[in-house]
Amino acid sequence: MCERDIRPADLGGGRLRPSLARRTAESVGRHVSEVLENEDLATADGLLQRIDPRAKLLAILLFSVTASLLRSPWLLAAMFAIALALAAASAVSPLSFARKVWGSAGLLAVLLAVPAATRLVTPGPVLVPLGALSLSTPGVLGAVTLVLRVVASAGTALLIVWTMRWSDLLGALTRLKVPDVIVATLAMTQKQIVSLMRTTQQIHLARESRTIAEGSVAENRDWVTGRMAFVVRKSIKTADDVYDAMLARGFSGSMCLVARVQGGRRDWAYLAAAAATAAALLGIDRAMLR
Amino acid sequence: MHIPDGYLGPQTYVVLDAAIVPVWAIAAAKVKSTLKARQVPLMALGAAFSFVIMMFNVPVIGGSTGHAVGATLIAILLGPWAAVLSVSIALVVQALLFGDGGITAIGANCFNMAVVMPFVGYYVYRLIAGNTDGLRRRVISSGIAAYVSIVVAAIFAGVEFGLQPLLAHTAAGQPLYAPYPLSVAVPAMAVEHLLFFGWVEALATMGVVAALGRSDSALLEMKPAARPLRWLWAAFAGLVLLTPIGVLAPGTAWGEWGAEEMKARLGFVPEGLAKVGGLWTAAIPDYAPAFVKNPLLGYLVAAIVGSVIVVGVTWGVAALVAKRENDDESSAAAA
Repeated sequence: MCERDIRPADLGGGRLRPSLARRTAESVGRHVSEVLENEDLATADGLLQRIDPRAKLLAILLFSVTASLLRSPWLLAAMFAIALALAAASAVSPLSFARKVWGSAGLLAVLLAVPAATRLVTPGPVLVPLGALSLSTPGVLGAVTLVLRVVASAGTALLIVWTMRWSDLLGALTRLKVPDVIVATLAMTQKQIVSLMRTTQQIHLARESRTIAEGSVAENRDWVTGRMAFVVRKSIKTADDVYDAMLARGFSGSMCLVARVQGGRRDWAYLAAAAATAAALLGIDRAMLR
Repeated sequence: MHIPDGYLGPQTYVVLDAAIVPVWAIAAAKVKSTLKARQVPLMALGAAFSFVIMMFNVPVIGGSTGHAVGATLIAILLGPWAAVLSVSIALVVQALLFGDGGITAIGANCFNMAVVMPFVGYYVYRLIAGNTDGLRRRVISSGIAAYVSIVVAAIFAGVEFGLQPLLAHTAAGQPLYAPYPLSVAVPAMAVEHLLFFGWVEALATMGVVAALGRSDSALLEMKPAARPLRWLWAAFAGLVLLTPIGVLAPGTAWGEWGAEEMKARLGFVPEGLAKVGGLWTAAIPDYAPAFVKNPLLGYLVAAIVGSVIVVGVTWGVAALVAKRENDDESSAAAA
């Protein structure tokens, strides 16, 4: 960097586009904030937060499978509405919930489905005449079904992310007989992800604070891959340190995790209601097909 | 390449979810036998690293940046079985903690990115790098391995998408899940990874391997292979023997039409295509050697000839690089 002249273009040429380091730092920062906000939401006083994590996990898996089996776009829309209602009853802003689902998975599904709605891909009677890009009736129906299926599934999955603390999820996995070694690894992974994300954010902010001009693509790439290598070394060093700490605390190779979750009547009622809803949706779907 | 829920039907995701469980069990047993009790922190840190590496913006060309998956890099650093577990855990955490990638599609995502990528990447790396200690050859090998592995994984994802219209559709033939057939889904996934994401993966992997080679080369020591390399050759030979299956597929791959097919589809042949289309005549046109009359046998012969040429060229390039490195080391020692 310091061996070459700084050109006006290096300084952004009057544009206010953030640097590579700043963009990465902000993106990583958003992920760190997301983890912390999810923990806050998961401890709020709401319907799903009061349900046993095992019941919640099983119900959400049931809804995910149901969403994949439904064929009617109306019922898929109803599933998304149910997820929205559950979110609202669980202290989650319906607007934030809808924005999150439609802004990521929904938008991607729309972009992917629109070409499939044209007569070029799906032949059939014209629904929207647009010349060579006219939309066909079966194409539009297929595209709408795909988009609604994706948002119904994404909404269901988001309920896990936003209403269940990571520690509760791990507890549920333990009680569902997932091997302790896997649960322990997942627990450690989440902690280390947050730690490594903070390190990554700090590395990029430090770079941003001492940079007055963007380097060339090759220079930036060298710097980025050099920092990745640093994260590799730090990860392996931390793994050794964690292992030494485990040994110091008497770890002998076997693990036994204590699950703190307790199930009750309310949890069974919730699970039964979820199963009945899924069965009803599938029954109506099959009846509509006949 | 993270497949969200809703794109794959139950016929696909149930099979892949069920198939991934024994793979995890075998991987856990392999890793336990090599890493012993140290496996838990190493797997957790490997998964955390795998997760975080996907967040780095890697500059490619102009102002464009992309994210690397890092599966080949992890396979080179920890071995392929450990990479299976690390990348799988990272994908599960992404799905459950951030809602990135589907829950029913966890098996498919793990198969593509945590099984196909590490194994293809690791074995391509082993094949090209051999037992060399030379950093330059290792860096080049890692780049080629990363590029090939992500393209192969993308093709697998394309096949999974492309099978949906065949597996699940209404009575009128309308697809219920991913709507594009194999002839669209596979080229679409392959081309975007051949042209862009493959380079992101290759540049990121080469950069990290180069940086580690300069600062901490012990990390790049060859990890024990999942199986001796001869199994790779056996699998390769098996795939070659299966190539005649391709003859069963009707029609031409999407976008690979010749002048005649183009005329049948469009009613005319584009001028440029008509001009340059006949400039080159392939030695074995349409994978059908002139001296073999049986189309299945001809396809097989074409596969063997092509494989021998590709392996021969790769071997030749690797031998040249190795010779150059040995010469450099000899000169340095003499100096």
